[in-house]
Amino acid sequence: MASLITCPHCGTRPKEEFSIRGAAAPRRPSAGDRDEVWYAYVYVRDNPKGLTQEYWHHAAGCRRFLVVERDTLTHEVFGVTDAAALTRKEAAE
Amino acid sequence: MTLHLLHRHVLEDHLAGFETSPNPNHVSVVRRPVILSVLAHGDLEAFAGRLAAFSTMSARFCGPGEWLVVGSAAGADELTDRLGEVAGLSVCDQSDGKVVMAISGPSVRKILAKCVAVDLHQDVFAEGEGANMLCCHVACHLARTGADAFEIIVPRSFAGSVFEELMEMGREYALTASFAQS
Repeated sequence: MASLITCPHCGTRPKEEFSIRGAAAPRRPSAGDRDEVWYAYVYVRDNPKGLTQEYWHHAAGCRRFLVVERDTLTHEVFGVTDAAALTRKEAAE
Repeated sequence: MTLHLLHRHVLEDHLAGFETSPNPNHVSVVRRPVILSVLAHGDLEAFAGRLAAFSTMSARFCGPGEWLVVGSAAGADELTDRLGEVAGLSVCDQSDGKVVMAISGPSVRKILAKCVAVDLHQDVFAEGEGANMLCCHVACHLARTGADAFEIIVPRSFAGSVFEELMEMGREYALTASFAQS
């Protein structure tokens, strides 16, 4: 497990300060989508060996949701971004 | 005799009766601090500038758009009023819910190294900086107020536990504690 996470607001912090809130890759379907699509969004998850994107809540720090891109095999952390900033950036594109 | 719990500090039982003359490494507990939680909406950098302009208090960064304002000179009401006048700021008085411990001395970083898992070197955590972090497993706010001086703000109900652990960690450096004189 990646043990040091560099929070964009607080700096380098130990993983004990965070709470992992699940995969960040699935995108919420629209309200009118079929049940199968919603089922897949809510329940179906990969268990990736390698690169993964997760929501990490910085519970003991800035209390922001972060998107951590890390490797489950090598424990390497590639990037930490504020989830709200990322959503705003995606919406702008 | 009536016991006035309102003005009884939560660390009274940990401190009262154990007073000694302060050693170089010392924890000073503020008896009646003024602490306000401030949330901002809108242009966050402009708010940071406006908060820094207040001379009677210091704004401690917690996260984007969130500060803990610690004052001493002005009363809580006056400070709340003045901050309330700034449009876009929400102010909540936390004075009764938080405990401020000021720790200072030549060995302060060695003591805090056993309490927090954050690099407190001057180059990374400069004077005037502050952040939320885990201190003795409790979510608290740590701010650097001088080269060898820090202030820890803990939730009131955790203050006893954090204080005891802090004193335990400081024992080898002859850490003493007392209420602040003012």
